[in-house]
Amino acid sequence: MKGLGFIELRDLSFEYKKDRPIINNLNLKIQKDEITAILGPNGSGKTTLGKLMMGILKPTEGQAFILNKDISEMTLAQIGSKIGYLFQNPEKQFFANRVEEELGFVSRLKGYDEDYLEDRIEGLLRLFQLEHVRKSSPLLLSQGEKQRLAIATILINEPKYLILDEPTTGLDGERKRLLVDLLKELVDRGIGMTIISHDHSFIKQLFQRVIRIYRGEVIYDQRI
Amino acid sequence: MTRGFKLDPRTKLIVVLCISTLGIVAKDIFDLLIVLTLSILVAKFFKVDIIRSFKKTKRLLYMLAIIAIIQSIFSSEGEAFLSIGNFTVLSTLGLEKGLQFIMRMMIIIFSATIITTSNSREIVQGFVQWGLPYDIAFMVALGIRFLPLLTEEIKDSLTAIQLRGIEINNIPIRERVSVYSYLFTPILAGVLLKAEKLSIAMEVRGFRAYDNRTSYLVLKMSKWDYLIIFISIIFTICYIVFYFH
Repeated sequence: MKGLGFIELRDLSFEYKKDRPIINNLNLKIQKDEITAILGPNGSGKTTLGKLMMGILKPTEGQAFILNKDISEMTLAQIGSKIGYLFQNPEKQFFANRVEEELGFVSRLKGYDEDYLEDRIEGLLRLFQLEHVRKSSPLLLSQGEKQRLAIATILINEPKYLILDEPTTGLDGERKRLLVDLLKELVDRGIGMTIISHDHSFIKQLFQRVIRIYRGEVIYDQRI
Repeated sequence: MTRGFKLDPRTKLIVVLCISTLGIVAKDIFDLLIVLTLSILVAKFFKVDIIRSFKKTKRLLYMLAIIAIIQSIFSSEGEAFLSIGNFTVLSTLGLEKGLQFIMRMMIIIFSATIITTSNSREIVQGFVQWGLPYDIAFMVALGIRFLPLLTEEIKDSLTAIQLRGIEINNIPIRERVSVYSYLFTPILAGVLLKAEKLSIAMEVRGFRAYDNRTSYLVLKMSKWDYLIIFISIIFTICYIVFYFH
């Protein structure tokens, strides 16, 4: 898969209001096997770009592709099973009343084998250090635990790639370090990711490619 | 400030009330069409984005089909358009009732958009100057203000659950009900958390600290306001009187 554009954006433009483009004729190829950081000040279009890559928003012009397949021809569920998306506010992706239920309810709806599911949930609780809160409500966890749980709920679908929108929001130094270790472990397991952030110190510890955007345009794109 | 034609929000509320009343009173399709045209013209006069409002009402077309079929099935009157054996699926009466419903909804939606040309602060002040307690008026305005946020929250939750790999439109009805039950948690929790934060913020800023409030904004009706209110009320009364004669 190396060298192949996993996500490709061609002449992509997007505007919430007419004649006020947020993303302006953007062309980008994102590889699967590396950590891409998207940096930019507030309002530069980072989150919008992430949502366009996920098909949550429809571009006003241009196209987005995942493995050469036009996103507009895919459902959100099909995209979600290939790419995991972490919302800026992780609370948006919690639906169940208990942590372990949160991890398993989608797979149960899909009819997965219960023994296999139990093993997966146990593995993820261990990996994300959430065993002690398994019976708690996701909404009552600390910010760091919420972030970890949100990533765990994505990983239960076994996606090939992750897009993380501001994963360090509300995390202290220690929790950020924990998150860095965790993301490194995921990369070792072959999961690539795009991290949208303006937390430079966090990004520095992870990225292999950095893209800076300003007013919806790429102003810097460099690999290390 | 008021967008477009500058009128007092109370005038707009009365105009909306008159048009909505006509929409409810009028029964046959021709009359409803006249009221609908009137509401579109008035909305246009207030410089409302009509195209956007039309797009919103487009979703109601599904309701037209559902209501037409339900009315056709449960009422024996009218000629059958479509029937399976002796069972009428779609009749002229059903279609008429469906059309009436859609037109009434469109009248209410188009007329309600007129209020959106005033900001919520002006509307609250309008209610207060009508004698409504500020707390109640503020609550009404807050409700209106938070409706789009609630819609946004529901959309986000629906997107988030689909991104977890659930084909919400292609799953059996039992599973779909189960998925929707899961959606209640984040929506309800989000609303409660928002309400709690808002109440704290209001208390911190001294809301209801004193019984009497003074307001920097004081609305004053112009002669145009009085004229429009007079015309609206007289027109509505005349229409109703002639309609029932």
